Amino acid sequence: MDAIINITINGLATGMLIFLLAAGLTLIFGLMDVLNFAHGALFLWGAYAGIWVFTQTDSYLLGVFAAVIIGILLGYLLERYIILPVYGNHIRQIMITLGAMLVLGELVKVVWGPNVMIANTPAILSGSWEFSGILIIKYRLFVIFVGLLVFLGLLFLLNRTKLGLVVRAGVMDKEMVQALGINIRKVFLGVFILGAAMAGLAGILLGPYTGVVYAEMGLEFGLLAFIVVIIGGMGSVVGSAVAALLVGILGSFASYYLPDISLAVNMLLMLIVLIFKPSGLMGTKEAVK
Amino acid sequence: MNKSTIALIVLVIGLILLPFIQDSRSILILMTQIFILGVFAMSYNLLLGYTGIISFGHAMFFGIGAYSIGLIMRYYEPTYLYFLFAVVTTLILTAIVSYLVGLLTLRLHSHFFAMFTFAIAGLFLVAAEKWRSLTLGNDGITFKIPDFFKDRVIFYLLSLGLLVLAYLFFRRFTQSPFGKVLQAIRENEKRVESLGYRVFHYKIIANVISGMIAGLAGIFYAVSLRFVNTSVFSTEITLDALMMTIIGGVGTLFGPILGSAIVQFAQYSLMDLAKVHWIFERWVILFGIIYIVVVMFFPSGIVGTVKTWFTRRNKQILGKKKPEGKKSMESSKADAMKNILKGEVDG
Repeated sequence: MDAIINITINGLATGMLIFLLAAGLTLIFGLMDVLNFAHGALFLWGAYAGIWVFTQTDSYLLGVFAAVIIGILLGYLLERYIILPVYGNHIRQIMITLGAMLVLGELVKVVWGPNVMIANTPAILSGSWEFSGILIIKYRLFVIFVGLLVFLGLLFLLNRTKLGLVVRAGVMDKEMVQALGINIRKVFLGVFILGAAMAGLAGILLGPYTGVVYAEMGLEFGLLAFIVVIIGGMGSVVGSAVAALLVGILGSFASYYLPDISLAVNMLLMLIVLIFKPSGLMGTKEAVK
Repeated sequence: MNKSTIALIVLVIGLILLPFIQDSRSILILMTQIFILGVFAMSYNLLLGYTGIISFGHAMFFGIGAYSIGLIMRYYEPTYLYFLFAVVTTLILTAIVSYLVGLLTLRLHSHFFAMFTFAIAGLFLVAAEKWRSLTLGNDGITFKIPDFFKDRVIFYLLSLGLLVLAYLFFRRFTQSPFGKVLQAIRENEKRVESLGYRVFHYKIIANVISGMIAGLAGIFYAVSLRFVNTSVFSTEITLDALMMTIIGGVGTLFGPILGSAIVQFAQYSLMDLAKVHWIFERWVILFGIIYIVVVMFFPSGIVGTVKTWFTRRNKQILGKKKPEGKKSMESSKADAMKNILKGEVDG
């Protein structure tokens, strides 16, 4: 029982982190049909910058702030200078964003050195609670809480605000929204930056969760988020939330009970989804040509 | 026989004579690697450059080849017969895998194919890592090879032979009616479909051929190292092929070879420079930037861009003197290459 609860909490926390990455990706794709393989770089930079500020100033809040700011900044640059010139062409998008991912990943090594960076847990969130003999690590609950908050905030933004209305309409029919006199490019830039900020936030949240961050995790988590987006259905926020939690929980159970195949679980899940329902669990866009 | 054919023949003769002119072992090994990965990049280019599909899992075919030869040489005997057996095994396995992968995904949009192949290659990597009793995991396996292949010069010539054969094969293949259909699919898939071609079949066959040749490159790679470990299945191998193809020239025959030479020669020389200043250790940045610049400004890569320059210059020099002929054919070909990446690929 003890183990099962802890594994579930672990899985939920991981799932929430992946969701923060995948939500941005899925919106970016849904709205503008853009495939962004550099999303992991924003996450990576959020993690490094956030943890660096955190260790320098000893204030976790400042670290989170720094991570989100760097996410926004890089997201803006990425959208304007890398993705804008390749609108409407998937193959070029995949290639150019992969290139951006490589450059940003290596730049992290230039700025902070090639070694891993140790991340401490902020004092207020360290330690654990005990409920009738079951130990629960505080920081994991914190991650789940933040993830849930962002998820609800995102749902509110999409379903209850004017901006959300435009975004949802844009996902459905981009041309129609443009015909109604809305500058969809500006909306898209906004959505891209929102996604980048969430990626940066996920980065700083991950730091104390795993204890170390390293440069290769950018591509790793970027691809993981992509897997989640495909499982959930491209363009669907709820879909990627469900898929992220599924991947998180399955992953943590597999690494406990079947460590040999734990690495393959996500891949297998994606393969099954792609074979039987290529548009994803909650996808609306056609996957078959 | 036109000028470029003569130039290529001279180049090949030069490369054949190279090991007899200079005797630096490391240069010889470097050249061998360039040839082998050049073949691998060419097979990747058949998908990316000539058919317009992007794969993230091309390493799986490379890895199948490398592991086939490694395991057979280790667990059976390093004889010519078993060597041949390994080659046949590789060809059959890569054909089956690429056929199945194609069957499942080539109907989908390009990014699904990319992610699907990525996942399959990931499964191969995990399998190679976890099946320790057979593969020894990440530690890898060393193996013996028939004596004939041990000689560096002979192996260099064999790799060169493979490269030349692959080049000739792809040249013939891309100029065949079949190859023309593939290029038409790249340009406008829907139109080809409406002309009555079964696009899906063409794509699958392209995928199978590409996979089999990648498998052959994998065999040579493993033989050159006499060692194989799980890194042959890694995403980096696929990304290397992608980078070589893009930098050299997507959709050109010679581009991937040039790309392979540039990337590996730069790696080789920058490794020495790393002792001078640590920034050279981060050479990936340099490549990443070149790569982005190429994708953005020279979508047809080095070979494609140079070709366009040449045809443009020839046009200017010749002006109206020469009637419409071979040159204008070439220039329209170069324009088409430029459009490979610019145009709407995904309908």
